[in-house]
Amino acid sequence: MPQLWRRLHVVTGKGGVGKTTVSAALALHLARAGRRVLVAEVRVQQIPRLLGAQGRGYEIARVAERVDAIALEPREAMREYARMRLHSKLLVRSLLENRLVSAFLGFIPSLPELVMLGKLLHCVRTGEWDSVILDAPATGHGLTFLGVPRALRDTIPPGALRSEADWMQALLVDPAATAIELVTLPEELAVNETLELAEKAGGELELPLGRVLLNRHVPPRFSDEEISRLEAGFASERLEAAARAAREHELRARLCRHYEERLRASLPLPLVTLPMLHPGRSFGRAEVEALAERIEAAA
Amino acid sequence: MSALSSKLFARELIVCVGAGGVGKTTVAATVALQAALLGKRAIVLTIDPARRLANALGLQQLGNRATRVELPDARGELWAMMLDLKRSWDEFIDRTAPPERRDAILQNRFYRTLSSTLAGSQEYIATEKLYELHASRQWEVLVLDTPPTQNALDFLDAPRRILDFLGNEPLGRLIAPALVAGRFGLRLFQKGGKAILEGVSRLTGVETLEELARFLVEVQPTYDAFKERAAKVRDLLASDRAAFLLVTTAHGTPVEEAIAFHRVLIEAGMDVAAVVANRVHPDHLGALPLPSPEELADELVREGVADSGLPPLSERLAQTLGEMRALAALDARNLERLAASVHPTPQVRVPRFPTDVYDLAALRMVAGHLFSRS
Repeated sequence: MPQLWRRLHVVTGKGGVGKTTVSAALALHLARAGRRVLVAEVRVQQIPRLLGAQGRGYEIARVAERVDAIALEPREAMREYARMRLHSKLLVRSLLENRLVSAFLGFIPSLPELVMLGKLLHCVRTGEWDSVILDAPATGHGLTFLGVPRALRDTIPPGALRSEADWMQALLVDPAATAIELVTLPEELAVNETLELAEKAGGELELPLGRVLLNRHVPPRFSDEEISRLEAGFASERLEAAARAAREHELRARLCRHYEERLRASLPLPLVTLPMLHPGRSFGRAEVEALAERIEAAA
Repeated sequence: MSALSSKLFARELIVCVGAGGVGKTTVAATVALQAALLGKRAIVLTIDPARRLANALGLQQLGNRATRVELPDARGELWAMMLDLKRSWDEFIDRTAPPERRDAILQNRFYRTLSSTLAGSQEYIATEKLYELHASRQWEVLVLDTPPTQNALDFLDAPRRILDFLGNEPLGRLIAPALVAGRFGLRLFQKGGKAILEGVSRLTGVETLEELARFLVEVQPTYDAFKERAAKVRDLLASDRAAFLLVTTAHGTPVEEAIAFHRVLIEAGMDVAAVVANRVHPDHLGALPLPSPEELADELVREGVADSGLPPLSERLAQTLGEMRALAALDARNLERLAASVHPTPQVRVPRFPTDVYDLAALRMVAGHLFSRS
């Protein structure tokens, strides 16, 4: 199944690997291929700014050509879920504004995750967007998030919540609809977590895996012979600094190759390397465009 | 002795907090190592260390068991323990619940919410374990590596949420027995109570409501014990026996999170000994201006190195230096903003090393920066 035509891309990875930037880049890439895209974040809102647009609270907002963005938030999602279930605005309001009720709902395991995921998957079902991208919370939490429908199906007695969990689970495990995208870094901890995540997602949770996106990748730039020439020690301070920077660059490039090989050997998935960028300021639209081009070239 | 080490090691408890993926475990292990090198009997309590770091510390598995780390040159002792949070919760229920209710609680599905998914519950049980080990007086310095926290408030707010859970008056004492007895819609809420209860059951299903209610009744007796203990844990963390180390990287998002975390800790009356900026990109040029490819070409020739290759070596060196400087400059700007926002809490920087940190030798290297005298 070509990556491009899946309807739901869940972008996962441990904290700090660049999931949000990759989600934004994936959104631009899919939009350029002519798809109408919705990109969603959980509890935070960074993607509109990354794409050079204004975020608009918790409403769906256009942030780039053919790209809409939304920040999922538990209270808002709960309100929508309640509206759908109860068909009475008055009842919804009196329910959700009741302190006891909101405390009570807070005790139901994973209810916030379920309603947020429910809202997102509902967007997938409507067909209003061709591709929906979820910037999932960091690894442990990301899997917890995706595991919610299944966990609820296994633990909660049949009823309103259970039937929600059932259709959501069916969509999540459908390889024609869903792809779990694994963002990682050329670092020990990140790669280990990716392998664990892939094993758990692809195994126990039966989630269809998409591709591996190896972020902040550094290609080799100096030959071994050049590096040893630069070992000599120089009178010039600037050259000494340059030699040190070059050595560190090659060390990093070697690590990149090592982790890339390890990922390729361990996971039978397409692997895209995304270059380390050095804008000298916070990432913005130009960096996201550069990464989108790389994803496109690899597709 | 560095300023940070004299401040930290006058304390008995050091809690490392911060966002996920910033290197908290490494910093926690380094602090305990330094304490041992200075002659203390120290222990680091970690949650989920990278496999290789765990191996370096001799930690084979989870299990709340203290393991001594061999350090031939240390005057003190270094110990490590990997916390099993689920087990710590079970032990807590063992201690506080009436024996006849124990099994019913541990088997209730909602116990899982309490012990794992309720925001802050993992953080709380980790500090609870810290309290217990501190009370055992086996160690002079205890360093806690906390679970990655999504929201700064989760950490300090956890006991309140758990108390809400355990002792929610109307839910626990009014609704629950009524539901369990099957008498739906009693006058539990003053107005429109029946509609509300029915509304909730339409959201979640009646069975879910009933099971939660049953759990709240069963777990009720642990309320007072938890409340008393939580107050003691908090008092200990706010006392002059404890200090926090706030760990971050120089990236924008973790820096924002660190600023928010700092504010929450200070407002709660906690002492933040320092902000540790980890994996900061170094600028090997220091204050020197960035050389052009032509300047580097001249210098290569002068030092007898051929400026060969395609593109020429000088160009690739200039590019590498430029990238290095861009990364370092961005980090420096973020860290200045951080320093200004957490003033007067001191900031300590640990550079990014070209390779990963996962053995004792590398931890010593981190210690050299964390506790440098300058």
